[in-house]
Amino acid sequence: MKFDVGPAGDLGLRLAFSQSPKPSLTYSLLALQSAARRQFSDALIDSIVGYTTLTLFFHPLTLDRERAQRWLEDQAQAACDSPGSADTDRKTVTLPVLYHPSVAQDLEWLAEKQNMGIDDIIELHSGRDYFAYATGFAPGFCYLGTVDERLATPRLVTPRANVPPGSVAIADQQTAVYPCSSPGGWRVIGSCPTRLFDLNSDPAALLCVGDTVKFEPISMADFRAMQDTQAKQ
Amino acid sequence: MRTLALIRSGIATTIQDTGRSGHQQIGIPPSGAMDKFAMLMGQRHLGHRNNEAALEFAYGDLAFKTSHPCRFVVTGAPALITIGDATHHSGSLEHTEANQMVDIHTSGHGVYNYLHVAGGIAISTCLGSRSTSPRERIGGLEGRYLRDGDILPLGPESKDYEALDSIMPSTRHRDTLSLRFIPGFQFDQFSETTRQNLISQVFSVTPRANRMGIALSGDPVDTGIEALLSEATCYGAIQIPPDGDPIILLNDRQTVGGYPKAGAVISGDCHRLVQSRPGQRVRFVAITPQEADRVAWLEHHYLETKLS
Repeated sequence: MKFDVGPAGDLGLRLAFSQSPKPSLTYSLLALQSAARRQFSDALIDSIVGYTTLTLFFHPLTLDRERAQRWLEDQAQAACDSPGSADTDRKTVTLPVLYHPSVAQDLEWLAEKQNMGIDDIIELHSGRDYFAYATGFAPGFCYLGTVDERLATPRLVTPRANVPPGSVAIADQQTAVYPCSSPGGWRVIGSCPTRLFDLNSDPAALLCVGDTVKFEPISMADFRAMQDTQAKQ
Repeated sequence: MRTLALIRSGIATTIQDTGRSGHQQIGIPPSGAMDKFAMLMGQRHLGHRNNEAALEFAYGDLAFKTSHPCRFVVTGAPALITIGDATHHSGSLEHTEANQMVDIHTSGHGVYNYLHVAGGIAISTCLGSRSTSPRERIGGLEGRYLRDGDILPLGPESKDYEALDSIMPSTRHRDTLSLRFIPGFQFDQFSETTRQNLISQVFSVTPRANRMGIALSGDPVDTGIEALLSEATCYGAIQIPPDGDPIILLNDRQTVGGYPKAGAVISGDCHRLVQSRPGQRVRFVAITPQEADRVAWLEHHYLETKLS
């Protein structure tokens, strides 16, 4: 496994592994992120795990670049020598989804394009576990993989100005739930009534990198009932 | 309670301090004042040592009244301040009586102004900061841009104010603004021609500029890279989308992205860039991380000596 450590602007360091994303790599990146928090404590102001990267941001003027770079390289080398495994922080989340054209504007389009029924799409999308490779884009947004090849579909050339909150969508072999209404170019195949981001909850974001997500098909009646419960909270 | 009433709320007006940290992993951008120099200067003027919040507004056009007599200072882009019959240049400590109209107008240069009122805008913090993130509806007043008629609480006035030089380091006119950047991310994957195209040409600032980022225009930069697996962006990142026009990512950026990046403009030059109006010519100058560290130390020293 090869890696590269380089600058991310004047306040950051970026570790990038040159390999395909997989859960064991994500576990290594998460372990490195925890180690960096212990190593640098208050000097580290933020850090982000991506699919194959870990980026660290430091307080202005506190970054001892050479030392931090060497530390990160040593840690990365150690991670290469012993692949990461899931620790106890990782959880499995089941998200209810209504797969219905009234809440999913690309569902019928995708069925027609792939020459399959809507039931087939539901079975393929909800029939496997997904791994949370990255978060970001919007608060609570989580990049999940890997989608069955038969459902993989490119992004819209021109993103929609407004994708409704809760939209369950696909882009290539990734899937995600839009936590709030936002512009977006992913293809929408369902709607999830569970709130993914809530400032009054701790933690505010339901899904974390390294989590496992299952999608559970629900009926229109269940969907409405869950929406009503949400609205009352 | 001491309050400030916005009579004319101005353009893209938000409550800001120096921003929030530690939440980028879940998609929350740092936000905070676009021109950090101007923000820190205003805080120092008024003896604000606890990151007290100010109002950030664009293209200097705002009017307000306060419920009690109080001190204030306007920093950032050069502006004119009218209190009663008197008009002053911004950057110095001012005083207003209760319910007196204060009018702030742009003098034609720069973009962002900061209205610091003694005591600061005393709203509650959200995730450790009062800064507004309008897209995420976080912080500030209901997470939104301010409107005419908004009334904002002010904190207790510090006795510890200082009269300072009215220096405006970030808004001095430059024919061509040099954006010093540290190459990184996908820079090494670009062809030599692409790297030269980025470094040798003069770009101009476009009107596609806001708190998320500033788009430049020039000869399109072809990175040869279509999309990447999502990874962290950073402050000042030079992101190059498929149309080839670089976008400098700023305070309200998306925390991760899948477009190729050539590196990142150093913080101090980002503060100068945000004060540039559309049409400003800019060019990229590659520097080493060690040179960037030296610049950061010099600017820190400059601020400390001017502001102490």
